[in-house]
Amino acid sequence: MHRLLNIILLFKEYIVLILLIVFSLALLTSNDNPQIRQIRSYTVGAIGVVQEGLSIIPNVFELKSENQVLRRLDMDLSNEVNLLREARIENARLREMLSLRERLPYTMVTADIVSKNLLLLRNTITLNVGESDGLKPEMPIVCELGLVGKIIATSAHYSVGQLVFNKDFRASAKIERSRVDGIILWEGGEFLKLKNVARTQDIREGDVVITSEYSNIYPRDTKIGLVAAIYQKPGSLFKDIDVKPTVDFSTLEQVFVVTGSHNPERDALEKKAGAKK
Amino acid sequence: MISRYFRYILFTLGLVLIQEKFLRFIGLEGITPDLLTIWIVYIALQHGQMHGMLWGFSIGLFIDLSVGNFIGLSALTKTIAGFTAGYFYDEQRKPVILGSYRFLVIILIVSFIHNIFYFVIFTRGSEIGLLRAVLEFGIATTCYTAVISLLPMFAFARKLGK
Repeated sequence: MHRLLNIILLFKEYIVLILLIVFSLALLTSNDNPQIRQIRSYTVGAIGVVQEGLSIIPNVFELKSENQVLRRLDMDLSNEVNLLREARIENARLREMLSLRERLPYTMVTADIVSKNLLLLRNTITLNVGESDGLKPEMPIVCELGLVGKIIATSAHYSVGQLVFNKDFRASAKIERSRVDGIILWEGGEFLKLKNVARTQDIREGDVVITSEYSNIYPRDTKIGLVAAIYQKPGSLFKDIDVKPTVDFSTLEQVFVVTGSHNPERDALEKKAGAKK
Repeated sequence: MISRYFRYILFTLGLVLIQEKFLRFIGLEGITPDLLTIWIVYIALQHGQMHGMLWGFSIGLFIDLSVGNFIGLSALTKTIAGFTAGYFYDEQRKPVILGSYRFLVIILIVSFIHNIFYFVIFTRGSEIGLLRAVLEFGIATTCYTAVISLLPMFAFARKLGK
């Protein structure tokens, strides 16, 4: 202790000088004028040069923490890439939906599918829109790829849609190319069936099946699917046609409910004349 | 001793007033002599390095606070000036040093070091380059300060002659 005191006394001028210089420099750095900003930039540059020179010496301890930081960064970037990829897919889908909305001359309500029931004979979806959005039963459901189904039940904020893969589904349909009419329905399995097509009618595999203008529920010319197979049963007057829907129901997330395609006057007249139940 | 400090403080205040308010009238191309550096050198030669540094720091800080545009710069440079001047402190030969050409030489050395630090920092961030800061402002101010320091030198020489 005594020795330390002697050393301090011996170098007291230098110690005081250092203290005063440190204090002065602390005061100097508290300024925010161009001089100090430039001196700061010189200092940062000088430190950078020194650090660059020293960086050739590997620091084992820092390497470990740097490795951890890089791994974390890698993970974050991977998540970011996944999010961007999802956003790109969603963007493409939304663009297609938007183009459909612009293409169809009907008013539509956008809906998210909040629940799916695809394992039964009466497959349905639940949508997050309901009567408060102007939805009523019998309104058709479409998406950018084609016909999805129709609304069968509504509440204030939710509605249930009947898919084309439903035993109760029926719609007037036609072949886009040859304008041959038929009734499209589902009897189970992975394909829809196009019924009431005479064996002499012009139908080929790959033909596009669309909704017909005879339907008072579904908007006309909405794509339903493609002809997948044509069977000629011996002794039958009609063809047995498999139609593969263009909509992939397993990946379907958003749909449109067409609110303005129904014609009540036509419906009432057809009911009055007994042409419709 | 207290009365001496009090006198020194009063003298310092007078010098600061003269330096800030009146010296610009004898300025040449914006260059003015630094009376306070002469005063710090005198204190260091009269009382030693420690006094020179502490008075240098205090006077510098007072100037910084009174001028207020670059706090810490005068405190730093005047501390260095006091420290440098303290190297020439000689208890036995104080009157001889103060009253001879040695005082002038010490003023030149101390003022040069002080001005180099001061102007190199002060002119950063401006269009004035490093060489111009040293030559035009540093050396010119040093010479002018040395010329003015002839007055106290002659006064000390006369006192020594008596």
